[in-house]
Amino acid sequence: MFKKKYFTLIALLLVAAMALAGCGGGGAEKKEAAKDSASDVIKIGVFEPLTGTNAAGGEMTVEGIKLANQLFPEVNGKKVELVIVDNKSEKQEAANAVERLVSKDKVNVIIGSYGSSLSMAGGPIAKEAGIPVIGCSPTNPAVTLGNDYYFRVCFIDPFQGTVMANYAVEKLGAKTAAIIQDVQQDYSVGLSNYFEKAFKKLTNNENAIVAKVNYNTGDKDFSSQLTTVKAKNPDVIFAPGNFLECGILVEKARELGITVPILGGDTWEAEEFLSRVKNTKDIYFSTHFDADHPVTEMSTKFMEEYKKAYPGKQVNAFGALGFDAYILALDAIKRAGSADPQAIRDALAATKDFQGATGIITLDANGDATKTAIIKKVVDGKFAYEGKVEPK
Amino acid sequence: MDRQKIKTFLTLGLVLLSCLVLFWGEQYLGKFSTRVLNLAAIFVILGASMNLVLGFTGMFSLGHAGFMCVGAYVSAILTMSPESKEMIYFMEPIISPLDKIHWPVFPAILTAGLVAAFFGFLIGFPALRLRDDYLAIATLGFGEIIRIIVTNTISITNGSLGLKNIPPIKSLWVYWGFAIATIWILKQLINSSWGYAFKAIRDNEIAAEAMGIDIFKHKLMSFTIGAFFAGLAGALMGHLITSVDPTMFRFLFTFQILLIIVLGGLGSLTGSVIAGVLVTVMMEVLRFVEQPMNLFGLQIPGIPGMRMVIFALLLLVVILFYRQGLMGTREFNWDWVLDKVGVGRRKEKGVGVDG
Repeated sequence: MFKKKYFTLIALLLVAAMALAGCGGGGAEKKEAAKDSASDVIKIGVFEPLTGTNAAGGEMTVEGIKLANQLFPEVNGKKVELVIVDNKSEKQEAANAVERLVSKDKVNVIIGSYGSSLSMAGGPIAKEAGIPVIGCSPTNPAVTLGNDYYFRVCFIDPFQGTVMANYAVEKLGAKTAAIIQDVQQDYSVGLSNYFEKAFKKLTNNENAIVAKVNYNTGDKDFSSQLTTVKAKNPDVIFAPGNFLECGILVEKARELGITVPILGGDTWEAEEFLSRVKNTKDIYFSTHFDADHPVTEMSTKFMEEYKKAYPGKQVNAFGALGFDAYILALDAIKRAGSADPQAIRDALAATKDFQGATGIITLDANGDATKTAIIKKVVDGKFAYEGKVEPK
Repeated sequence: MDRQKIKTFLTLGLVLLSCLVLFWGEQYLGKFSTRVLNLAAIFVILGASMNLVLGFTGMFSLGHAGFMCVGAYVSAILTMSPESKEMIYFMEPIISPLDKIHWPVFPAILTAGLVAAFFGFLIGFPALRLRDDYLAIATLGFGEIIRIIVTNTISITNGSLGLKNIPPIKSLWVYWGFAIATIWILKQLINSSWGYAFKAIRDNEIAAEAMGIDIFKHKLMSFTIGAFFAGLAGALMGHLITSVDPTMFRFLFTFQILLIIVLGGLGSLTGSVIAGVLVTVMMEVLRFVEQPMNLFGLQIPGIPGMRMVIFALLLLVVILFYRQGLMGTREFNWDWVLDKVGVGRRKEKGVGVDG
């Protein structure tokens, strides 16, 4: 018979795996589903990772969506019902979740998901069913590519990478740059790729990128990468990635005496990142909006309401993007004048100068948002507004 | 009637019945149920193939997700159309011969299995000289290595950006066809002399060696076949979801398969089938516990993750009360059914039903 000690070992492993998969989701409660007859309600499906590795981001997004739902519970005289399903941060679950939303819950429009790979798993199913999807924060260009039913309210990797390259060349006067990228994150790889292209073009120098080094998600030691970069002596360092790894990376860079500006992306706007880089300067990153420089009236409103609804929580970009996805959906339904998914899709595709909390959104032919990016920097242990960049 | 004949008829009947069920399912089941059942079929293949390695041969290998990853990518790259390849590989174009390849789905899935088996062979060769926990650690490491390689070879796999627009397969026939074929092949294998050797190695390696069984050869064979079916399942997974990326195949995925075979019983194909379907279907059915509920006037807010809590509890109960999983090492067989309905048993030679 099979050795007994394996059973104990396996049981322990499995319970641990389960606990890991199950944690991180607590706290978020769902909107009480209204049990009206189908014709009186418009259903908005939400698929987000509420458990698993991406739970934190998913939860912030859902908070924003629920807030928007509380503020604007009706459209065209009909009540809006949110159907929130968890996708467990797994692709097969995300596909199941979207299939469930389109064929069981019969939603009119879908919002989601945090994480580009999860969005890509759900996209084709919604497309086939003819239900439009509004992504909150999937920044990978491939999400909307070749899918007429996928839209998004966030800006995409190419835009963000290009913005930072522009900023480095025009404002910081950089002639050379080094890239440190997290090779496991599509976000990091995408941003780096477009930063590189734009930077080379702006400086008219094929060798403007003096070093491009990789690390992996979860790494804690960056000394070898930083030593390589330091030896090349670049004018700026571009290091997009998770706030956790980047916090350690930036801290270590300053320790090693690298004083050049370090640039990153919107993921850096997190308390955990700030606590590590408090005492340094010349840290710049692009983000979606700034609390003190509201782009639109909706931004102000969002910030006030968010503070009321979730006291003690930091206003964050993911919540704002969730909020925007919801109000954009409502706006499209209003413009379409009906809850027919096809009409909503057409209305979404025609979105122009929409006033969202994160900026003025215009959707291009791909369904991607072109909008204002905000540049922030670290000053005196705080994130401070540095400037904004308009889309070209 | 002769009992052997009855059994043949019953088996034929069962095959016919499953065809009818599939036909009915194809006609009348909604898209959602079809998708869940297709996913269940994939997990059945995964469970059965990992059971071959862990349950029947006693090798504690945790590299299954890595072989799935190989299979998924091979099939995806072979079947994607050149136009979508051009669109998806926008960072670095795909290397030369691969960009024009456009295979039909079936040969691609089989090739995916073969390539995964080749990887299994390569990895098994050094790793299978290890035993027990050391083998677990080594295979876990190899699984991760495969994933890291896939992440870094951007001009072949598109790296962390993943692939999409993989030709979809929706039919129940394909997934369950593969699942039934897998079970049948594995059953034949297990009831062959090789299968007895596997089980001998599992039960006592030293005794098996003393009996003249080539331990390494048999282990490598079991491992390679396990990898083949894992690759097959990975390829099917790619065609079901229509997009793949390396983060899908983290080692946590292997634990999900482990859950299925422990729940079903280590060393029981029947158990893997039951548990594979049960886990996948329950995961969707249990979604209601995450919705807000009204229990005897008591408002219970929906808590995401509740289904996983219930699953963990279920697993604890199974481990406590059925230490060997739902089926132990028993298999479904007609003798048991015929005994129950009281058909007379002729004196037969005790055909080795395990356990």
